[in-house]
Amino acid sequence: MKELLLEIFGWLGYLERPRVLLQLGLVIAVVLLTREARRQRWLPALPMIAYPPLGLMALGLGCGALAGLGMPQGLASLLGLQWLGWYGINLLHQPLARWLPPQRLHQLESRLLRPAYLVGSALLLIREVDNFNDIAVIRLGELLGVSVSFGKLFNALVVVYLVLVGCGPPAAGLAWLVQRSLGLSEGSRKAMELMLRYLVVSLGLVGVAMHLGINSTALIAVAGGLSVGLGFGIKEVFSNFISGIWLLFEGSVRPGEVLMLDGDPCEVRRLGLRATLLWRDRDNAELLIPNQTFFTAAATTYTASDRMRRSQVNVGAAYHHDPAAVIALLEATALEVPRVLPTPAPKALLLTYGDSAIHYALRFWIANPMDNVGICSDVNQSIWQAFRRDGIEIPFPQQVQYDMAWPPESHTSNHSPAP
Amino acid sequence: MLAKRLLNGMMGQLMPSMAPPPAARKPQRRRDRLLSLLSGLALLAPLGGCTTGRQWPNVVYVAIGANKDQLITAELKQAFQDQWMKVGARFRQIHPDTHFQFGIYPEDEMVEVMRRRSRSGLAPDLLLVNGDTALRLRQAGLVDPFPVHKEQLAIFNEEEVRRLRSPDGQLAGLPVLVQTQLSCFNRQRLSEPPATLQELLNATANGHPMGLSLDLYYLFWIVGSTGALPAMDRAVLGHSLNPADRQALTGWLAWMQNASNQQRVSIFPDHPTAEAEFKAGRLDWIPCRSTVLPQLRRVMGSALGVAPLPDGVGHRASPINRLRVLALGRSSSAAGRRRALAFSYYSVNPLTQRTLTLGSQTALPANRFVTVPVQSSQVLAAMVTAANQGLQANSLVTLVHTNDPRIPRVQTLLTELVFGERNPEGATTELIEILQARP
Repeated sequence: MKELLLEIFGWLGYLERPRVLLQLGLVIAVVLLTREARRQRWLPALPMIAYPPLGLMALGLGCGALAGLGMPQGLASLLGLQWLGWYGINLLHQPLARWLPPQRLHQLESRLLRPAYLVGSALLLIREVDNFNDIAVIRLGELLGVSVSFGKLFNALVVVYLVLVGCGPPAAGLAWLVQRSLGLSEGSRKAMELMLRYLVVSLGLVGVAMHLGINSTALIAVAGGLSVGLGFGIKEVFSNFISGIWLLFEGSVRPGEVLMLDGDPCEVRRLGLRATLLWRDRDNAELLIPNQTFFTAAATTYTASDRMRRSQVNVGAAYHHDPAAVIALLEATALEVPRVLPTPAPKALLLTYGDSAIHYALRFWIANPMDNVGICSDVNQSIWQAFRRDGIEIPFPQQVQYDMAWPPESHTSNHSPAP
Repeated sequence: MLAKRLLNGMMGQLMPSMAPPPAARKPQRRRDRLLSLLSGLALLAPLGGCTTGRQWPNVVYVAIGANKDQLITAELKQAFQDQWMKVGARFRQIHPDTHFQFGIYPEDEMVEVMRRRSRSGLAPDLLLVNGDTALRLRQAGLVDPFPVHKEQLAIFNEEEVRRLRSPDGQLAGLPVLVQTQLSCFNRQRLSEPPATLQELLNATANGHPMGLSLDLYYLFWIVGSTGALPAMDRAVLGHSLNPADRQALTGWLAWMQNASNQQRVSIFPDHPTAEAEFKAGRLDWIPCRSTVLPQLRRVMGSALGVAPLPDGVGHRASPINRLRVLALGRSSSAAGRRRALAFSYYSVNPLTQRTLTLGSQTALPANRFVTVPVQSSQVLAAMVTAANQGLQANSLVTLVHTNDPRIPRVQTLLTELVFGERNPEGATTELIEILQARP
C-alpha cells in the first residue's frame, strides 16, 4: 500500500514542469470562464446547452495554439476530450428518456454510465504519467495467504461492481423470456429475476475470490467462521436474508403480491435482502417490513392463487319493499358498475331485520384487490341511484319520544285518545 | 479542492436542471467565489514554486525498457528496484531530497509511449533502454542528445559509443551497463558445460536434454559459432555473396536443422517457456541472459551453472549483448534535467558501476576502467568472455534493430526449417533475399 501511495504522490512532481502547468491552467481557465459565461448569460441569444461546446471550441483553439508554438498540448487535449465525452453523456439523456422509464434511466446513468466514464477517464489520465502494468503489479498485502496486487484488486472491484449493478437488465431480460415461454405470472417473473440476480452475484463473488487466488479451503474456513459470527452477532440480518430467500421460493411474498397489513391492502414492491418494501394505496406510504415478519407471523393475501377479491357493501331498505325485488335490483345494479366482474355473479343477501330497515348485503368480485375502496364507492353510488329510480326508500332510524310521569302508573301516551 | 472545483465546473455546465432554489443561491454564489479564489491560488502556487523548486518533490522519473522475453511482473519490478534503488540511495547522500520513480515499459512499445507522453509534456526525465532503442528514439526526436564531453566519453568502449551516435553525430544515450548472453546449465546433471557446438550435440547424444527457442535473439550466437557471421554481415550490407558465404550460411541453417532432429534437443516457440522447463529440471542446458540469473538462482540454488556460449571449430559464438543506456526525455523542467544529468553521470562513475554490476552479477559495467574480478567469480568470467564474443556482432546489431521487419521473416523461415518444411539450401536463398531487402 505504501508503494502505491508513493507512486501516486510521485506524480505530483510533474507539476514542477511549466509546460504541464500551462496546459492545466488553460483547461481550468476555460472551464471556469465557460461556467461564468453560462451563469451570467454573456451571450443571451444562446441556450444554456450551447455554452459547453463553445468552451470546448475555445479549449481546442488553445490546444491548437500550443501545438503551433511547438509546445506540448496532449494533456489539455485529453482533458478536453474527456469534457466532451461528459457533455456527450449528458446529451444522451434525452434520447434515452424516450426508451427507458425514469427510474431505469437514473439507475443506468448514475450507476453505470457515469461511474464507468469517470473510471475510464481516470485510467486514461494515469496512462499519461505511468504504466498500468507497472502499477498493477504493486503488492498491497496478503489476503488469506494470497498476495494481492493492485491490478488484481482493481479487476476484482470492477467485476464485483459490474456484477452488482449490471446483472439487473440481463436477469430481467431472461426472466421476461421465461415468462413469455412458460406463461408465468407477473409475480413469478419478478421472483425469478431476483433469484437470477442473487445467483449471478454469488457466482461473481466466488469468481472474484478465485481470480484473487483464494483457495476453496480458505473460503470454506471463512464461511465456517462467519456462520458462527452470524449465529451470535448479526442473526437478525441473516434471519431476514434467509427469510427473504425462502419467501421467494415459496412464492407467498413476491413483488406484485397484495397483502393485508393492519387492515389495509398493500402491494409488495420489492423483496430486499433485509426487508420487504410494501406500498399502501390509502396514503401512498411505502412500508419497510423485515422479511422475518412474513416468515413467522400470519398474513392475509389476496394474490396467492388468483388476484380476485370478493368485496361487499351493506345497505338498508324500508320494510314495505318486497325483499325479492330489492335483492334483484341490487344484483342488477352491481352488474352495471364497470369494474365489478360479471363472473362470479354478484350476490345480494337479506341479512337481518333491523330497527328501522331490513339490512341487505351485496357481494361482488373485483379483479384488482388494490381497487377495493374505489369500486365499493362506485357500487354504493349506483345503489343510491337505482333505489331512487325505483322508489325504494333507505329509511332513517326513527325514534318516538314520550314525556315521562311519576309514578309510572300515571304515565299516558303523548297521543292520548280525544276525550 | 481544485479537482472538485473543476468537476463542479464541468458538471455545472451540463446540468442546468440541477440549479438550486433561489433562496440557496446567495450563499452558493459566495461559496463559488471562494472556490474560484482557491482554485486560482492552487493554480498559482506551483507557478510561484517553480522558481524556488521547493514546492514539489524533486522526482527523477525513470522509464525502464523491458525486453520482449521479460514479462512485467512484481518480481521483475523488484529486481529493477533492488538494483537501482541502491544507487538512488547513495545518490541522495550527495543530492538530498531527490526521489526516484521507476516505470517499466515493454521495449518495443517505448517509441509509442514516449511519443504520447512527450505530446503531453509528461515524458520521463530518463530512459534506461537498449542502445538501439535509444537510437530509434533519438531519430524520432523523442529524446534529447546526451550532452557529454569528449573526455568523459573516454571511459567507454569507443566502438560502443560510435554505435550510439545518431546520423547527426549526436549521442543518443549514455552507456551504463552491458547485459550478456550466456549458457546456463544444471551442475547436478552436467558436470562440464559444452564448450563447442560439437560438445553440445555430444551431450545430447549422451542423454542430456537441451533447449533452444525460435527467438532469433537466442539463436543468433550459433551464426558466429558456425562461421556464418561475416556472410550475414555482407548480406545485411547489401553486398553480393560469393559461394563461400552461401556455404557458410547453409552451414548455420544445416546445423539448426540437424539440432532439431536430435531426440534430446527441444525447440520452444519462445524463450520464457524454455526457461520454465529449465527451472523445472526438464532441461540440462539452455542459452540465457545475464539478467535472469537471479531468478534462476532463486529456484535452482547451487545447481545453476553459468558458462559462455559454445564456440565452433575456429569460430567464436556471436551472442547479442545488450548495451543499456540512459537517454534524456524531452519534457523535463530545467531542474529536472539537472537532476537527470547529475544522476546519469553518477551512474557511470566507477564506484556506482561496481554497485550496479558486481553486486547483482547480472550485467557488466559500461565504464571500461572498472575492473571486473574474473578470478573470484565464474559468472563474471563467463560474462566477460560473452562480452568479448559479442563484439563481433556489434556491426550487425547496429544495422538491424530489434523492431526491424526482417526479424519476424527470418524467424518464420527458421521455424519452417526446424520443422523440416524447407531444406538448408533453399532456406539459404530466401534468407539472403530477406537480409538484403532493406526496410
